[in-house]
Amino acid sequence: MRAIRSALGRASLLPALAMLAVVVALNAWLQPHFFGRPSLESNIATFAPTILVCVAQAVVVLNRQLDLSVGAGVSLINCALAALPADLPGGGWSACVIGLALALALGAVNGALVAFLELPSLIATFATGAVWFGLALALMPQPGGAIAPGLGDLYGADWIGLPVPLLIVAAAMAVWVALGRHRIGRWIVAVGSSPGAAYQAGVPVRWATFGAYLTAWVLVFLSALTISAQTLSGDARLGQTYTLTSVAAVVIGGVSLGGGRGSPWGALLGALVLGIIANVIYFAGIPSIWQEFFKGLVIMAALGFMVSGQRRRVAA
Amino acid sequence: MRGIVRRFGGVTALDGVDLEAAAGSVLGLLGANGSGKSTLSRIIAGELAPDAGTIELDGAPVTHATPHEAAARGIVIAHQHPALAPDLPVWENLFLGAERTVFGGFIDRGRARREAKAALTRLGAAIDIDAPAGALTAAEQQLVEIARALTRRPRLLILDEPTASLAAAEVGRLFDSVRALTQAGVAVIFISHRLAEVEAICDRVLVLRNGRVAGAWRSAGRLDAARIVALMTGDPDAAPPARAKRVVGETVFVASDLAAGRAVRGIDLTLRTGEIVGLAGLQGQGQEELLEVLAGFRRVDCGSIQHRGKRITPRLPRDMIRRGICLVPNDRHRQGLFLDQSVGDNLASVAIAIQPRPWHLPLAALRRLAEAMIERLRIRTAGPDQVVTRLSGGNQQKVVVGKWLGRRPDVLLLSDPTKGVDVHARGEIYATLGAIAAEGSTVLVFASDIEELLQHCDRILVMVEGRISDELSGEAMNEQRVIAASFGRAA
Repeated sequence: MRAIRSALGRASLLPALAMLAVVVALNAWLQPHFFGRPSLESNIATFAPTILVCVAQAVVVLNRQLDLSVGAGVSLINCALAALPADLPGGGWSACVIGLALALALGAVNGALVAFLELPSLIATFATGAVWFGLALALMPQPGGAIAPGLGDLYGADWIGLPVPLLIVAAAMAVWVALGRHRIGRWIVAVGSSPGAAYQAGVPVRWATFGAYLTAWVLVFLSALTISAQTLSGDARLGQTYTLTSVAAVVIGGVSLGGGRGSPWGALLGALVLGIIANVIYFAGIPSIWQEFFKGLVIMAALGFMVSGQRRRVAA
Repeated sequence: MRGIVRRFGGVTALDGVDLEAAAGSVLGLLGANGSGKSTLSRIIAGELAPDAGTIELDGAPVTHATPHEAAARGIVIAHQHPALAPDLPVWENLFLGAERTVFGGFIDRGRARREAKAALTRLGAAIDIDAPAGALTAAEQQLVEIARALTRRPRLLILDEPTASLAAAEVGRLFDSVRALTQAGVAVIFISHRLAEVEAICDRVLVLRNGRVAGAWRSAGRLDAARIVALMTGDPDAAPPARAKRVVGETVFVASDLAAGRAVRGIDLTLRTGEIVGLAGLQGQGQEELLEVLAGFRRVDCGSIQHRGKRITPRLPRDMIRRGICLVPNDRHRQGLFLDQSVGDNLASVAIAIQPRPWHLPLAALRRLAEAMIERLRIRTAGPDQVVTRLSGGNQQKVVVGKWLGRRPDVLLLSDPTKGVDVHARGEIYATLGAIAAEGSTVLVFASDIEELLQHCDRILVMVEGRISDELSGEAMNEQRVIAASFGRAA
């Protein structure tokens, strides 16, 4: 028990958990049958893309970098999947392979710019994000196309009694858990904690940063896949809101923007908090034109709660 | 290594240095701050590349571009400033870059933690291996840095001022480890400003000055301190500067029953104008925290402070600075300097922060101030526009002191101001402290080196577990008494 508590404390998950409890309680109060299986299943299906992109951002932020192109990346992969010919041999599976290859290529470009050309990640990924968006628009000027229907069916299905979206998220977290126990994962965090110390200790700093981007973009691919399986068409503006949502979720989840501190579990919690906040605002019957306004206020409050929690820890 | 040259910008840090380290022996490397010791050791360890010269290992020329490659050849360095990842636990830091792994690179936690515990125990360090490295004290971080170097199975081990923040017992255990290594045939390069340590551990001595070899001995034995200072400074008549005449005047500062957090547990303290008071004791007895409380960095839990007859509550450093109570903090890189700014900007930073009219920036006056400080503290710099990190450690520390001297401080607090500062620059810093005390300021200084306090202070307060265990002055102020008092309650 003590070990769990200290692990929670070190990963600074407690404030995010408390916040999650509050928004879940609100949601359950406003929405009858929130804990019913249909509601939970539809929520996890809706949240999965956001969760995955937030966890992707967390991996990069732990390395003391940012990726402002993840949203545009989701759009581009979505458009690419939608632009694939309907009679593609292999159907859904080859679409997955193509999508993953594209995601890894995009991640490799970002990683190379930041790790090897030493461009500031904030600017470099802002620029590549514009490029991804431009490519997505060229590929799909109007929303349209079609995603292999098999993907949509699979996404709505159950496997060993559990909904597939939940399994995808679980698999993504399992990959991170494995990476966190692997030296590459430790290098990613060590470089984020102190690049100089990591370098002097003999850590291949550039490769660690490159690896962080590649890992993140595997998750971005999963995010694009899950959102595509829901919309079943291509839209170049689909992922627009994901980028800054992911940064906010990372902060709410207690991952330090200064790198090294926090865990992708925090990002998962942060994504859930943000998703449920959207639910709460919807069910509270707030007129749609005011929804964004209230969402902003709630996020501000959540960030304030997190930051004041962090200050207390520093002072203690 | 032969004919090593390294330039930074226009400054030549190393100018044709030859150095030979033999298996099974300890080479002492001495030199003033800025003489090139650290640069030389970083070149050997692959952190910097030489501009000219060759490095041979076992008779064959080698080039290594990264610390990783150097470590693969058995060349390992323990840095003067511990290079630890602050968020990672101690045990991970120990094996960072050389992880203990099982199949395919997964971390072998059990083995790593066992070995980490063993390595720290050998150095006699009782450190929680699960604590994040950033939460350790400076001395503990230094021990982790040394333990890490020892776990890398070095063939050539470089210890860059390993003892700067260690207590005597820890130094003893470190020396035991070094002797065990040399018996196993490891070559060691030992960098230190403490001559007694060099005498105790080194077989040979090399003195650097301005990037060149100024002198070398076969065997260390007893060292002639005057001759070494002369070699280091290039000035045969380098004598310790004369002590300025000081008059101890009225009481300016009184703290009674002051407590803050776990570190400061009830301090009674009276300071008078014109005196230099030393704070001594083992590492981590609350000295640094006391100074931080007095400077308004930490909150006071109970007790009272009077400054010039007025009761005050330190809340913000800014308030205390306005009262003329200023702190030269322990960690000059993190708290003392704006690292990427120029010498001039750093020297002017206090004047800018507390000037009465914030909308007015008297650039010319600030520049004159900076130039005057460079002159007064004899800061070795290309000029006020040079970036402060280009200066050597001792000169950086002079900048930290200098920024407070624009307006004469009423009470100047210093936390280990000579850590990693050579004998020569140390003398200059204390000469400056003497001068401002002679002008009527009060100086309260904590230093880990007892000798230097004895030499420069009017009286010494010894701290044990957050309290002042003894006050020594006059005849009673000697090393034995200070050490005895340091163990007063801890023993």
